[in-house]
Amino acid sequence: MAGLVRAGFSFAKTAIFSTSVRSIATTNPLHLREIHERVEGSTKIIEAVNVPSPRTELLIRAENLPTQDAAASTSEKPCYMCALGLDVKHTDVLIVSQFVRSDGCMLPRRITGLCRRQQKKMGKLVAMAQKAGLMINLTPSYCKKDPKKRKDHKKFNTYFDERTIFMKKIPKPVDKFKR
Amino acid sequence: MSAAKRVQQWATFARSWHIFDCKWQDPYESANIIKKYLMGLHKPIYHPMNDCGDVVVAINSRDIALRGDEWRTRAYFHHTGYPGGASWTLAWELHNKDPTMIIKKAVYRAMKGNLQRRHTMQRLFIYPGENVPEDVLQNVTNQIRQIRLVPTRLDQIPEEVTKTYPKVMDYPEDYVLK
Ligand SMILES: [Zn+2]
Repeated sequence: MAGLVRAGFSFAKTAIFSTSVRSIATTNPLHLREIHERVEGSTKIIEAVNVPSPRTELLIRAENLPTQDAAASTSEKPCYMCALGLDVKHTDVLIVSQFVRSDGCMLPRRITGLCRRQQKKMGKLVAMAQKAGLMINLTPSYCKKDPKKRKDHKKFNTYFDERTIFMKKIPKPVDKFKR
Repeated sequence: MSAAKRVQQWATFARSWHIFDCKWQDPYESANIIKKYLMGLHKPIYHPMNDCGDVVVAINSRDIALRGDEWRTRAYFHHTGYPGGASWTLAWELHNKDPTMIIKKAVYRAMKGNLQRRHTMQRLFIYPGENVPEDVLQNVTNQIRQIRLVPTRLDQIPEEVTKTYPKVMDYPEDYVLK
């Protein structure tokens, strides 16, 4: 009975949403695009150009690695970052910068395709790398690019401890200073 | 005493000079390392009554790195001795005034408070930048290894390396590049 209801619901959903979308779109809606702006005389033309993904050839996936066995046919399939099992630090800017837009914002989960925990972790790593001033070419236009030109305490070097990401309360560092 | 033994005696008790680059180093972690060289704890002949400590030259103290929000949460206390003379200075304010003070206080506090401490501190030279006087630099014979790796900024990596680096995340099919 439940399966019947679900099937009916999904049928209704596809009937409502996909048809309405399909009727609006004049081109193939499923493609990676880039927005181009150009001026011809007195008219400004804004068009979306379909581009191939620049990353597909360089993509690393756990199932394609030679060391991995085909034993991962359990109930829950892990997301690609859990399957890779990388120990990513906030100083690994070449990995962290893949999860941001060109203005340095973290991409949402529907685009990154991570699980909840990994999305939280990558978001914190992006924030750490930005606060430490390690990705200054991926910042908004109004941002002071050079970390040394920032205000007050932000202009000095800061490092972060990745173990504190999932801690409720961050412990104080152990040294002989009274606080 | 033979000539070889005499040279060995000189070499054992001579003060050697070490250099330490503070760039992106936590001052409170590196104070424990610098302390060992200043007091001579790294030598097998160490004894508290034995004056066998070395000299440490710490450079680039302006570029030290503090963890997390420490720059605005760590406060340095001072009291003038008069009533109402207490003052609390935040770490970033202190670093603005004197970029050598944080590492100096960290090393001072890392050592045990005894009569030797102030004399041991005299053997620590701290310079905010890379400009070290020539007469100091020509004595240096050893470099102390840094604790933390100095991070590389993304804009310092060449563009072809960034483009050809292996990727883990691919855009979904209907994503608009921004
Ligand atoms: Zn996952």
